[in-house]
Amino acid sequence: MKRLRDSLMLALWGGFVLWLSFTGQLSTYLHPSLQPYTTAAGVILLVLAAFAVRALLVTPRMHHECCHGHHDHADHPHDGQAGDPAHAGHDAGHLHGEDESGWLVLLFKTLLLLLPLGIILCGQGTKFTMTTVQNRGVVDDLLRLPSAKVSAASAAATASSTASVAATSTPQGASSGAMPVQIIDMLYAVQMPSYREEFEGKEVELIGQYVPLTTGNPKGDRFQAIRMFMTCCAADAKPVGVTIQYPPGVPPLKVPEMGWVKIIGKPVFPMEGGRRTAIIEATKVEECAAPSEPFVY
Amino acid sequence: MLTTPWFQFSLPDFQYAFLSILLEGIPFLLGGAILSGLLEEFLPQSLMTRLLPKNPRTAVLVSGLLGVIFPVCECGIVPVVRRLMRKGLPVSCGVTYMLSAPIVNPLVVLSTLAAFRGQGAWEMTILRFGLGLFVALLAGWVVSYFAPYSILRPGLFAPEEDHHHHGGSGAPLDRLQNAAMVATRDFLDVSVYFVIGAAAASLFSTAVNQEIILPLAANPPLAIASLMGLATVLSVCSTTDAFIAATLTTFPMAAKLAFLVFGPMLDLKLLFLYGAAFSKRFIILLALGLFVVIGLLCWRLALLNLAW
Repeated sequence: MKRLRDSLMLALWGGFVLWLSFTGQLSTYLHPSLQPYTTAAGVILLVLAAFAVRALLVTPRMHHECCHGHHDHADHPHDGQAGDPAHAGHDAGHLHGEDESGWLVLLFKTLLLLLPLGIILCGQGTKFTMTTVQNRGVVDDLLRLPSAKVSAASAAATASSTASVAATSTPQGASSGAMPVQIIDMLYAVQMPSYREEFEGKEVELIGQYVPLTTGNPKGDRFQAIRMFMTCCAADAKPVGVTIQYPPGVPPLKVPEMGWVKIIGKPVFPMEGGRRTAIIEATKVEECAAPSEPFVY
Repeated sequence: MLTTPWFQFSLPDFQYAFLSILLEGIPFLLGGAILSGLLEEFLPQSLMTRLLPKNPRTAVLVSGLLGVIFPVCECGIVPVVRRLMRKGLPVSCGVTYMLSAPIVNPLVVLSTLAAFRGQGAWEMTILRFGLGLFVALLAGWVVSYFAPYSILRPGLFAPEEDHHHHGGSGAPLDRLQNAAMVATRDFLDVSVYFVIGAAAASLFSTAVNQEIILPLAANPPLAIASLMGLATVLSVCSTTDAFIAATLTTFPMAAKLAFLVFGPMLDLKLLFLYGAAFSKRFIILLALGLFVVIGLLCWRLALLNLAW
């Protein structure tokens, strides 16, 4: 019974992982560099499931023959070695007898292993809400961003070709004629004067998720556009944001929290609160569809 | 001054982080389980006895450095160590290898160097490697004074349902099948603990306001303790945690060092994963011991201005 459960569990897990991979959903959870490993794991799980099925078909009697008197792990001369038969014994979780408590333990473990698959099946757990953004705090300083120093060095080296860098880093090409940029480009610009000069006075277009600005917004004409910056997987993602200011006299757009918006405007880099910051003085703000790659890396 | 409460729970966010941690950890956990299956089937018990130095202290030292040539990350290490101990590796050596491997791993060394570029990368990398190895050796030597049954999970060495092979013979496909069965058992067994650990890590990483530790940065002992707490909560893989640590710019280097040494040895998911091999009492004592020893050593380094 346990072997049947094992083979089913492996097949289910392997199948789900490969389904996530081939439908492109894995990118919602993992950094691109890690996705091949998880996909490979899905394949290996299916191979293990095949071995488990083979064991069910080919060796049904081996278990019974094998179990008696097989305690040879302990014949080791080292002091403090692990396999001491005097202390080994059968534990409660060992399911040879498959008695009532063994069945309950097996059922509990099975349900626990099925829980993640249930969450995926219900379509839950596919994006973060404002709660995580608030708990992690929006990063608007490049130095608080993982691997920023490394990226900054390469960005500085290519600062002279800003437009091409920005164009390749924006998933949806600009449709307005404005220079397509990423939010993170604005953070680099705050840190590097040479990079900043490339943007000042020019019209840029970026997309991000709408986050209301609760502090430093006395007139109520500002909000933050954020993107989640992933180091490894979504669990470690940090929101990276830039302040957006509506044009004078234009009422703020009604956008749900974390809804996707497209902003066209000119970046300025004033000193606020004793430090330089980036603000996009928007000429146009509109709702848009989520990009195919919601994360930045 | 916090503008939001210190704890806000969102079920969708918890579920999202939970699935992310699981999907990230599965290949490494599976890799460890497969290695465990291959070790069980193809590593003769006598070989390990022959290769390991007879002197227990030297054996612990060798185990501490094993991760340099035999790197396994912290998610995959538990099934491997469990299997090696089944094959006769002394528990003290197993604990040392388990604690040191995620730190002395060459990938981790390279990622630490890259992450701290411009922030004393060599100093941080050397200190991380040295302190991690030293603490792991210390833990191993302490463990060598205790009886294995007081450290290991009860019944860990009970015969396995799927363990049919007695070593060194049989058709290649049958031997592979034996290895696969052991790998399956280990993977599913340890995955149960991993699911619980991932749930705990997800709860804290999405629901706790991470800005609560920022005011502690100015006080060295509190900064060190708080970053060890943060490492526990975040449960980040040791190959990438340096990139997170390098961004904690308001914290002293000693606190970042504590984050980088303590995290790979004991975070929330590991706290549960270790349950697959060790007794609850030992895990609690190990957690407390690592917290105190790493905390004190990092504080001492801070006072010496070596890692400030």
